[in-house]
Order: sequence, then C-alpha cells, then structure tokens
Amino acid sequence: MDESPQQADWRRWLEEHAPKFLLFARQQARSEADAQDLVQEAVMEASQRQNDDRPPPPALVFATVRRRAIDLARREDRRAGRELAAMAPASECWFDTSVEEHELSQLIQSAMSRLPDMYREVITLKVWGGLTFPAIGDTLGIPANTAASRYRYGLQELRRITKEVLA
Amino acid sequence: MNDGDHEQFEAELRKLAPARPPAELMAKLAAARPHARPQPSSVPTGFGLRQSSGAFGLGRADGKRQRAGVVEDAAAPTRSAPLPVSQLATINYQLTWRLLLRWLAPTAAVAAAVAVLVWWPSRHDQRQNGNQGSAAAQPALKADNVEFDQKLVAAFDAVARLPSGQPVRFRCREWADAVVLHDSASGIVVEQRTPRLEVVPVSFETY
Repeated sequence: MDESPQQADWRRWLEEHAPKFLLFARQQARSEADAQDLVQEAVMEASQRQNDDRPPPPALVFATVRRRAIDLARREDRRAGRELAAMAPASECWFDTSVEEHELSQLIQSAMSRLPDMYREVITLKVWGGLTFPAIGDTLGIPANTAASRYRYGLQELRRITKEVLA
Repeated sequence: MNDGDHEQFEAELRKLAPARPPAELMAKLAAARPHARPQPSSVPTGFGLRQSSGAFGLGRADGKRQRAGVVEDAAAPTRSAPLPVSQLATINYQLTWRLLLRWLAPTAAVAAAVAVLVWWPSRHDQRQNGNQGSAAAQPALKADNVEFDQKLVAAFDAVARLPSGQPVRFRCREWADAVVLHDSASGIVVEQRTPRLEVVPVSFETY
C-alpha cells in the first residue's frame, strides 16, 4: 500500500529525530523501558499541540521528554527501592557505531554517564540533538548564556574524564 | 582547553550518531502520526446544519501507549496490552471532566462566598435606607393644642437624723405630671403621664 505524503513526511521525521529523542530520554530515565515510554509519550503530546499535520519541532519534544521524566521520577521515588533492586543495569548502546568506533562509543557513553546531569543534557541537546543555545535554554528552562557556559564546562569535563579512561 | 581542541573534540563527538530506536518503538511512533484536523465543511452556513465548534472534542482518537504496569513480586517485567481506541477515548473524556471538576468545584464555592459577602451588606444597607426613607416619608405630628397638668397624688412628712445626731424633717410630695397633645387635623391625641417625687428638707429650727 502506498504511503500518503503526510505519512512519508512523518516517517522521515521519525527516522531523523527519533534516535536523538531516545538518546536524550535514556539519559533522563532510569530504565530502557521508561526511556521508550518517555519518547512515545513526548512525541504524541508534542504532536497533539501542533495545530496542523506537520511534525512537532524537536525542541518541543525534547522539552516534553524532560518534563515527563521529572514527573516519572517523582512518581517512582515512592517505590524507588523496589524498582531499582529489580532493575537490570542499562546495557543498551547509546550510539550507533561501526566496529572501529565501538570502543570510542563505549568510552563516550561511560564518560557521559559520569558527567553531572546539567552538563550531560546540554551536551546531548547540542551535539546530537542539533539544538541552538537559545533552544536548549527554552528546553531546559535556563538562559541561553547559561546553556552555553554549561556546554563549555561540560565538554572540558567530558574530555578530562575520557583522558582518565584512556590513560 | 583552547578553541582548537574544543572544536576537535566536538567534531569527534559528532561522529557518533545516536543509536536507532528498536523497531517496535519505531513502529509504534509511526502509527502515532498526527491525524489531519477535520477541514471546515464546504456547505455554507445557514443551511440548517449545525456545525460543532469542536471545543468539546476528544482530540486525537489514536491509542496512547500504556506504561508497563509494575506488579509487586512479578517474575519478569511485562508490558500491558494497549487499550482499545474507544476505551481510551472514554478514559480521556472522563479524565478531562475530572480535571475540570477538580478546579471548578472550589472555584464555584469561592465565587459563591464572595458573592454572598458582597451582596449581603449591600442588601442590609438598602434595607436601612428604605426604613429611613419610609420614616422620613411619614408626615410630622402637628399639635394645635397642648395641655400640661400637675396633680398632687400624696403629701407626707418624714423625719431622719443626720450622722451628727441632728434631726431633719423632709416634706415629701408625689405628683403626677401629664402632657396632652392634640392634633385636630389628623385626630390624634397623645397623652403622657410621669410620676414625680418632690422631697424638700426642712430644718427643725426653721420649723
């Protein structure tokens, strides 16, 4: 069955942006299942806010992922002990890599996991989300200049961590 | 870390592309494509067709993914099956009304309390003004004949002693004072009687 133009646009938009959303959600959520739920909820909620058929702006989806992750964390805190005990450590690879880059991706993923949240989310949105600093500021609810400075400090910290690991 | 290192490191990071989501998730996201909003009818208005404003519409009817239910002591994590679209629409409708009621009920109570607080004093003032107005509207009594009368009811003497031992005599008289007002125009007679006791001390020496 042939796709309608809107369906084709939607599929292209998903192919381009869904990996970014999932990467960001994985860093916000405590489990892979929660991350996938966050992405789906955020995509649907952001789509509903659109007044037309066009896909929502990625910044809106990122912001929705973050809000829903905060809501989820508040709900889950009440049963965090039981959940965390049953939760398997995250084994999903954050990055899509070839064999040569597999080690690098593991290194970056490990280093990113050790970064403070405020640096990690800005780096993710900037490097892999493709957002501008004003858009990152809107998404995270911080000034654009703060986003820029966090990005710079975060890169320095990330580089320091990767040097430690490589050494 | 200078700018050159900064850009080089940033470029290395950009080489890594985010991993593609699982096919299952991509399929669900693809199915969640926003539907086209209903276009306005081509039938011109005024032809007897009532058009819904859509203000109370349920929005999108496609199903939303349900979170996996966390069951205590569950052996393995499972995901619940998605609910049917009709059931989701019903739940969505109920949730919308619950949210509305959650805010409307307290708001209505506060509004009612404010209305009573504003309305009651104003009504009280109106009532007072109305009473004053009715009193002012009554014509004043115009007496054209006034009679004063004093009647001696009783007269007697009483003797007492001062702390120094000196005797004192009191001449006592009971009077009944009366005032009678006549308003011949309206045929009203107002009569007021007031008892009065008159006590006059009299020294024995003067007696």
